[in-house]
Amino acid sequence: MKKIEAIIQPHKLDEVKEALIAIGVEGLTISESRGHGRQKGHTETYRGAEYKVDFVPKVKLELVVPDPRVNQVVSAIVASAKSGRIGDGKIFVIPCEDAIRIRNGESGDAVL
Amino acid sequence: MKTRRQIETIGLALLLAAGSVMLSLTPCLAQEPKPDPAGVATGDKTNVYDAGGNAFVVTEPADKTAPGYADAKKAADEFKAQAEKEPLAVKLADSVGHLRVGTNFAWTLNTGYLVLFMQAGFALLTCGLVRKKNAGHLMMLNFAAYVFAFIAYYICGYAFQFGAAAVNAAPANLGGTPTLNHFLLGSGQWGFLGGSGFFMAGPAYDAGSNVYALFEVVFMETAGYIIVGSICERITFGAFLLCELFVGAILYPIFGCWVWGGGWLSQLGSSMNLGHGYVDFAGSTVVHAVGGFCAMALSICLGPRLGKFGPDGKARAFPAHNLVYVVTGTFILLFGWMGFNPGSTLGATDLRISVVAINTNLAAVAGSASAMLFWYMKFGKPDVTMACNGMLAGLVAITAPCAFVGPTSAFIIGIIAGIVVCAGVLFNDNVTKIDDPCGAISVHGFCGVLGSLCLGIFADGTYGAGWNGVGAASYLGSAGKGVTGLLYGDSSQFLVQCLGAVVCVAWAFGATFLVFKIVNAMKSMRVSKEVEQEGLDVPEFGLQAYPEDSLHPSEV
Repeated sequence: MKKIEAIIQPHKLDEVKEALIAIGVEGLTISESRGHGRQKGHTETYRGAEYKVDFVPKVKLELVVPDPRVNQVVSAIVASAKSGRIGDGKIFVIPCEDAIRIRNGESGDAVL
Repeated sequence: MKTRRQIETIGLALLLAAGSVMLSLTPCLAQEPKPDPAGVATGDKTNVYDAGGNAFVVTEPADKTAPGYADAKKAADEFKAQAEKEPLAVKLADSVGHLRVGTNFAWTLNTGYLVLFMQAGFALLTCGLVRKKNAGHLMMLNFAAYVFAFIAYYICGYAFQFGAAAVNAAPANLGGTPTLNHFLLGSGQWGFLGGSGFFMAGPAYDAGSNVYALFEVVFMETAGYIIVGSICERITFGAFLLCELFVGAILYPIFGCWVWGGGWLSQLGSSMNLGHGYVDFAGSTVVHAVGGFCAMALSICLGPRLGKFGPDGKARAFPAHNLVYVVTGTFILLFGWMGFNPGSTLGATDLRISVVAINTNLAAVAGSASAMLFWYMKFGKPDVTMACNGMLAGLVAITAPCAFVGPTSAFIIGIIAGIVVCAGVLFNDNVTKIDDPCGAISVHGFCGVLGSLCLGIFADGTYGAGWNGVGAASYLGSAGKGVTGLLYGDSSQFLVQCLGAVVCVAWAFGATFLVFKIVNAMKSMRVSKEVEQEGLDVPEFGLQAYPEDSLHPSEV
């Protein structure tokens, strides 16, 4: 089983969610976050004084899937979150030891 | 705890001092004329005028050597003969006069309530402009400003400002407040400090005087609020209360006496032949520049907020935390200004009120437009907060000249003000390095002075005949000529406007700087570094403006 973390543009959330539901993903966690990649934020002025927006708003998406589904999920996210411009975000695939359902203590792929 | 005890001691001392002044004046209370608390003797035939301002009652001329004596005496005799023939008409005139004063009471009180509502506008505007972590502290400052400055004005501010109003500046529309007739310092045309009506009691316990007191106290509150925009995010609550007591009891009333209370600046026309004397219709300088330059002095005493200027001296941005508040607050201020300026006629029977209202709006939109465009061209994006500051700048600048200029001049004044406020904000950030979080110094200080000068330039002579006792019959060779500026042929008016503006800046900045430099040396007026970093809400008042931002362990 693998954990997939995707940092995406906030306005792409709906499209990504639809794409994941369409391929049968059932569980998904998101959080609002801020960050920057290579573009390093941008500069604005307020009442004549410059300030840097170093960390721009992003949405972090987390889900855990069985190994065979990883490629399918990753390509669904890439296809739906892509605008082709700087700041589209990144996807990280991380090995995951186990998953346990709190309600009944069940574990393993069955939980996903 | 030490601060609190100090404040209590100072407050008590102030109360005692004012109380003893009032007691010493008690013998004066017996003298004529008597105050009229019930309002049953205010407004009679002497308050009846026609549209041109001619009185119904023609009084006998006193000076037998005056050039027009024979004509005036004839007119008085004719009136007397007619009055004897038609006693019912004279009785009717008594009712008309009472009704006229009543109409003006209603107008003045209601516009006063509009000005009161401006406090909500100031609270929203300044709160929106500061950082989230200080929002609660700022609201408390705004709230306490109203409360404590009001008390100071009640104790002695009103008496200092208007204690001698009847001498040179009787508000005829409100019945003239004849009981407020005593200067504490100076006399005649050289009055420096009013001296009756302490605690709004005795001679001030009068229906006419109380209308005046309500209208004027909310003006003073405006000056009291202005300073919040410059000293917020770093001042201790105790020090702030001292500032408010100072503004309400001393700083504002004294300059107000000189201009509106019949004091020496207003009388320079009669005493020194300088135009109509120093004229400020609704308070570009009396209210705004006094507040703005007091704010400047306080901001210098306090020093800039931590991190406002980087190690290289470059100004940094602390973006506004809520633009919704900023814009809403600005619109409330615009709405309130419809009381501030038109209300300053002190009467609905002065039909110039409509011109004043239009001029005020024109300057507001012109100021906002020019500030927006200036910013658009300079920085590529119009700044919401500067657009709002631009609107207020236009309003502040039109406040002095609003009754004396035409719509074109009002529009031009607004445009100039919008640019002045932008330049002022950049000037304070980049040259003087005075930290002014909400732009109060530029909006109220710089544009207040601008307004006073603009009156001396653009006044067109259509209004204000007899203002400050100058040129009631004719001025500059024509009958009915009012306050006239440089462009319309009276350079002496411009001169006296410059003089008055300089006196205003020197007084407001100088007195504040002197007093609070000493206060600051005795005990720092600033919160500690740690408190400033954390935000002032919790250390000073124990509560955040937005408490759900801090998670409580038991609720997680």
